[in-house]
Amino acid sequence: MNKDFTGMRIFLGSVALLAMATTCVWGQFVGGGLSQQKTGRTDAVEYLYPEQVTVPAGRPYKLTLHFRVAPGLHINSHTPHDEFLIPTVFSIPGSKQVRMLSINYPAGVDATLSTNPKEKLNVYTNEFILDTQIVAEPGNHLVEGKLHYQACDEHECMPPKTIPVTIDIIGK
Amino acid sequence: MSLIRTRRGTILLATASTLLLLLALGGWFLAKRQKASARGEAISVDALQGKPAPEFVLLDLEGRTLRLSDLRGKAVQLNFWATWCGPCRLEMPWLSELHDKYASQGFEVVGVSTEGEDLKPRDENGRARQRNAVREFVAEMSPDYPILLNGDSISHAYGGLDSLPTSFFLNKDGVVVASQIGIRSESDIETNIRKALGLSTQAHETSQP
Repeated sequence: MNKDFTGMRIFLGSVALLAMATTCVWGQFVGGGLSQQKTGRTDAVEYLYPEQVTVPAGRPYKLTLHFRVAPGLHINSHTPHDEFLIPTVFSIPGSKQVRMLSINYPAGVDATLSTNPKEKLNVYTNEFILDTQIVAEPGNHLVEGKLHYQACDEHECMPPKTIPVTIDIIGK
Repeated sequence: MSLIRTRRGTILLATASTLLLLLALGGWFLAKRQKASARGEAISVDALQGKPAPEFVLLDLEGRTLRLSDLRGKAVQLNFWATWCGPCRLEMPWLSELHDKYASQGFEVVGVSTEGEDLKPRDENGRARQRNAVREFVAEMSPDYPILLNGDSISHAYGGLDSLPTSFFLNKDGVVVASQIGIRSESDIETNIRKALGLSTQAHETSQP
């Protein structure tokens, strides 16, 4: 009899612990899922690479930056057709060790949306690159560039946003 | 005795486990709420449904004050928009048209410019730049309803306004009866206007208001 109850106790305890573990894992999963979904909508653009680059110190170097626009979204190119639209702009503010000499923005793609076929937009979608010319002082510099953009989908737009573009630049 | 102790132990263990389970669930909900709050989503757009629209006082382009409660007794479409928002530009003529159509029944549209630039409270230059952009945009689009400035200052109360356009439809008592994020069609907007006015929403395209 005692053995039966001890067994029952172990069984119930195990079930309770299993339920708790499941709840925690489920909570993490569902909570994380929602968070990711939200982040996905808010962070329309993701910086891809490079994360680290070695450049000849004191000499101009062509640095190509790769970005990705989330599926279903577009951002204005650097030269949108309408004066009210916010252009995509990259900058490296406040760094004396790494200076950006020039930047080439890709030509955007002309597009119309099904909701407004009359208006022609000039946008970046999927992956796009920015060609920059930089000069770095000797040493290791953790540079935080900034990409400013404004994203929309077919039906709605998100507020303008600036994302950090962090690159470890080693001048040798 | 041993049997009682064992049975009591089992009950205690089960009770403790249930309590821990409830604590874990409570912790999860709390963490989720805090995450949402940290993202500035204290209230979701849907959560305003059936509740009085949050009161605000904002200035229009001419510097006149408009208080939401001044519109009590009218059905209102509160339309948050921005100069950089293509879909907002698209729906503006629709809103003017619908405003015309339903104004005689006590319907009002209020456009609230929400540029989303997170200006610092003392950034007067930034505010002036925004005001000029809105002024130019309004001059070009000529909406026939009032346009208010600085919607960003009330965005938190209206669900964060993560996407534009966002419209809230208030009945004559100031209660939110519908909301809409983004645009689909003029007909969708009209359905919500009719809901706010307490009119039938069936086949409104062919019916007279």
